[in-house]
Amino acid sequence: MTNAIRSWVKALSGSGLIGLALVVFWLLIAIIGPFLAPYDPGAFVAHDVFASFTGAHLLGSDYLGRDVLSRLLSGARYSVGLALAAALLASTAGIALALLTAVSPRWLDEGVSRFMDTLISIPSKIFSLVLVAVVGSSLPLLLLVASITYMPGSFRIARSLAVNLAQMDYVQVARCRGEGAAYIAIREILPNMIHPMLADFGLRFVFIVLLLSGLSFLGLGVQPPDADLGSLVRENISGLGEAAPAILMPAIAIATLTVGVNLLIDALPGRGRRMAGKE
Amino acid sequence: MAGPATRGLLATALPLIGKRIASGMLTLLLVSLVVFFIAQLLPGDAAQEMLGQAATADAVAALREKFGLDRPAPERYVRWLVGMVTGDPGYSLVANMAVSDVIAARLPNSLLLAALSALVSVPVALTIGILSAMHRDARLDRGLNVATLSMVALPEFLVATLAVLVFSVQLRWLPSIALIPPDASPWLILRSLAMPILTLSVIVIAQMARMTRAAIIQQLSQPYVEMALLKGIKPARVVLTHVLPNAIGPIVNAMALSLSYLLGGAIIVETIFNYPGLASLMVNAVTSRDMPLLQACAMIFCTAYLLLVLIADTVAILANPRLRNR
Amino acid sequence: MRLSRRQMLGTGFAAGMMPLLPRMASAQPRRGGHVTAACMSSSTADTLDPAKGALSTDYCRHAMFYNGLTDYDDNAQPRLSLAESLDSSDQMTWRVVLRDDVKFHDGSKLTADDVVFSLLRLQDPASGSKVKPIASQMASVRAVSPRDVEIVLTSPNVDLPSILAQSHFYIIKAGTTNFSTANGTGPFRCQTFQPGVRTLGVRNEDYFRDGRPYLDSLELIGIPDEVARVNALLSGDVQMILAINPRSTRRIRESGTHDLLVTPSGLYTNLIMRRDAVPTSSPDFVLGMKYLFDRELIKRALFRDYATIGNDHPIPPFDPLYRADLPQRTLDLDRARYHFARAGLPSTPLPLYCSPAAEGSVDMASVLQEYGSKVGLKLAVNRMPADGYWSTHWMKHPLGFGNTNPRPTADLMFSLFYKSTAAWNESGWKNERFDRLLLEARAQGDFALRKEIYGEMQEIVAAECGTAIPVFITLIDGFDKRVKGLRPIPLGGFMGYKFPEHVWWEG
Repeated sequence: MTNAIRSWVKALSGSGLIGLALVVFWLLIAIIGPFLAPYDPGAFVAHDVFASFTGAHLLGSDYLGRDVLSRLLSGARYSVGLALAAALLASTAGIALALLTAVSPRWLDEGVSRFMDTLISIPSKIFSLVLVAVVGSSLPLLLLVASITYMPGSFRIARSLAVNLAQMDYVQVARCRGEGAAYIAIREILPNMIHPMLADFGLRFVFIVLLLSGLSFLGLGVQPPDADLGSLVRENISGLGEAAPAILMPAIAIATLTVGVNLLIDALPGRGRRMAGKE
Repeated sequence: MAGPATRGLLATALPLIGKRIASGMLTLLLVSLVVFFIAQLLPGDAAQEMLGQAATADAVAALREKFGLDRPAPERYVRWLVGMVTGDPGYSLVANMAVSDVIAARLPNSLLLAALSALVSVPVALTIGILSAMHRDARLDRGLNVATLSMVALPEFLVATLAVLVFSVQLRWLPSIALIPPDASPWLILRSLAMPILTLSVIVIAQMARMTRAAIIQQLSQPYVEMALLKGIKPARVVLTHVLPNAIGPIVNAMALSLSYLLGGAIIVETIFNYPGLASLMVNAVTSRDMPLLQACAMIFCTAYLLLVLIADTVAILANPRLRNR
Repeated sequence: MRLSRRQMLGTGFAAGMMPLLPRMASAQPRRGGHVTAACMSSSTADTLDPAKGALSTDYCRHAMFYNGLTDYDDNAQPRLSLAESLDSSDQMTWRVVLRDDVKFHDGSKLTADDVVFSLLRLQDPASGSKVKPIASQMASVRAVSPRDVEIVLTSPNVDLPSILAQSHFYIIKAGTTNFSTANGTGPFRCQTFQPGVRTLGVRNEDYFRDGRPYLDSLELIGIPDEVARVNALLSGDVQMILAINPRSTRRIRESGTHDLLVTPSGLYTNLIMRRDAVPTSSPDFVLGMKYLFDRELIKRALFRDYATIGNDHPIPPFDPLYRADLPQRTLDLDRARYHFARAGLPSTPLPLYCSPAAEGSVDMASVLQEYGSKVGLKLAVNRMPADGYWSTHWMKHPLGFGNTNPRPTADLMFSLFYKSTAAWNESGWKNERFDRLLLEARAQGDFALRKEIYGEMQEIVAAECGTAIPVFITLIDGFDKRVKGLRPIPLGGFMGYKFPEHVWWEG
């Protein structure tokens, strides 16, 4: 097992290693960050607002005089956790539905596609605005909104890949062999769309992190006193003019997290390639 | 030679378009039902929201009657639907104007911003995507990769605010708000829209470029590419004439998705740059519970999306003969 | 009671306000120029109908195009505007004589019929009037002659001149039903009105106040995002912005080219404890909460000292009616603990509703949560979206926040929010003595005696009412230093929203 991981890590390129390091770092922070926080993230501990780096407050203070480092350490889990869960949910559901429609009868394909169109054509932030007004903002709701928002996109891209692949010779061959629809979908089509879908997953993760921060811009995101990385940027945006660490640090955190995830995914060995090459 | 080919293409495209219009109508109906249903769940109605803190029972009742909100929900929906089918999107309760007039003032703004942003982002994204796919894992690819990634790595409100700080407040090159006077010259319009376009493009370029790259790389591993290369055709030519048509499906689909974002997703850009577009109009409609206006906006976004998808699918089918059978 | 051109009413805010008056404009106002002013919001709900005015943008827009019978002076005291005189011997029947030289923008003359129409429509629920409860005090409004109007009230009220100065009471042309453009008597003519986008006014050459307005044209827009608003000011795209965050004041001051208009006001965000729910109905719980507020911290951390500490009643310290000898309530965890012990605290967290709709309430809730945890009070902060807050959450939960704009008179404040039968009696309390004093003060013409009555009412509210008012929020606007003539009027930003005819441009 450890050997497998070791060889897998060795196979990664330089940028892939950087990506891996960043992802591992943020996963760690998400899990143990709250225990490392030197202060209560909600406490008003600094006298100055938007203070710069000091010994007492390593990353300065925020717009209310709270400790930025503590808030960052406690906030990472919302961004990492929510975005990861929502991206997984959206991509898995999207791919599953796409596979289903690629091998299923016409009417089902049509029905699912129309439903996806319905979901996707309502602008996501406005959709969230309505849902939040109806049931109030909560973590499960944000998860739901983010997955519903990004599932149809994942579905469309997966479907166009799947439909293309379903016309491939080796799939036709499998069909002639009399293989079942499920076999074709999972053994023949799925492996060949994994790579583009992984790239899509990485971007979807980024977009969900950004959707969450966009929602916090509109006052709909993770609710105070808690804050995800995007909310931290948003609530301290008036410190941008003076380049306060309160806004720079969460921004850098978002950037390293999202870039890390994508570098890692890009560096993953393209399994789809090998499979296609075999045919 | 061009004659029969064109006719063949048309023969494929026309039934598809016909079918799409039919299913598009179905989607529009679904959207209107969903929007109406969710909006019914919203707390308060147009009368209460209009009166705000001043909502006393008799004032609310009087306004409800005036707005026709005292009628049952299904009846209101059917009335709206009948109006819509006969070409009358109704009357905006809050703006006290015909919905068509309210929309007419905003739609051109949104279309202009979206079109200009698409004009900037599509060529850039395609170029980046193709270049990085052709130089996969080379220095150029890595550089472009990190560049596109960092473009989306920051929240758009931060990008927009940063752009304003630099270009308006510090350098004073561009106006910080994109409020264009009616008699503005094209130059002023471009200057006012420069930062909104920049912000929106930054968001969509990354997705389109990365999808392009992934789709082309997927195709590059196909046997036919090897064959073509073995035959001695130049890589650039292989990519443009053989690979691109085969990879075009996912690419145009990603583009359709990204471009539809330019209309409805522009809410943050519209807010920060104070640009009077459709997205902020729709947010207004939600917060003021102005149902006819909300429905009209939803219909427009849905139509725009369907059109983009139709174009994407048509292009995909026309470019890839194997799909025509399906 | 008599209000005439020579004789001003009231003693004014003078004492408290003097140090805050900025370098008084010594220069002669200059004519010409264009100014763009940005308010906080702009939407399709923007209106040219004074009765429907709901937001600061509306109030400013209405001040561009309309006038009231009266107006406010720098101390927020009423003075005459369209009325040439306004008299009453019993505070009940009022006689209005209109100026003779006022014309609407369409050229027609202002008559008594216009006044009757404008005031009576405010009582019609279908008009969407925001001031129906106040307007209903007018039992009849009738034209005696083309220049004379008689207003009979349902009960005596000394404050009618102040009430009539509010923007909702602005005078429109009789019979107006279409508000796609404005036909008023105001300093600017409406050239463009696009709801949610912009309002453009050009100078009304026939304005009845000689020499005014000073500007050739005035444009009003809304920029909802505060950071964007400040950037628009600093980049020179707009010359005035309403409502800036205390955290942005440094940037504006350091620019060298821009300045702040600081207006201490009676605006407050209050904690509402409903009388009809458990445990907030307990007087001990109410007192415990009032001792739980760290007013100094709220003033310093939340408002960067742009606030005035409040004493749990709605009269701010700089108001001439403020009762100074009431002891100031401060953070006292021991007393809070004592009162909570007597009230008995629930074991489950108590939901506390707040929203960005009530300025500062979200952060105040966090502060309360922090201090609550020190005395065994568990609060669950429920942050509601601004959208729908007033219709769905305000006054609907045992523990939640409200937000109240300054009102021109203590009577309006008390009648609208503290009288037991008021529609907005936020805490749902009922105090018979308070209700009686309210009517007594309204009919009392002598200032010293009224002040005494209002003093007792402040004591009652602070001691018993389920409302905690930790601070009054100071309003801060920003402007380009070339905009002249701005002075703080404690009723709102931008000179109580009435800046259009007062400012000039020295560019």
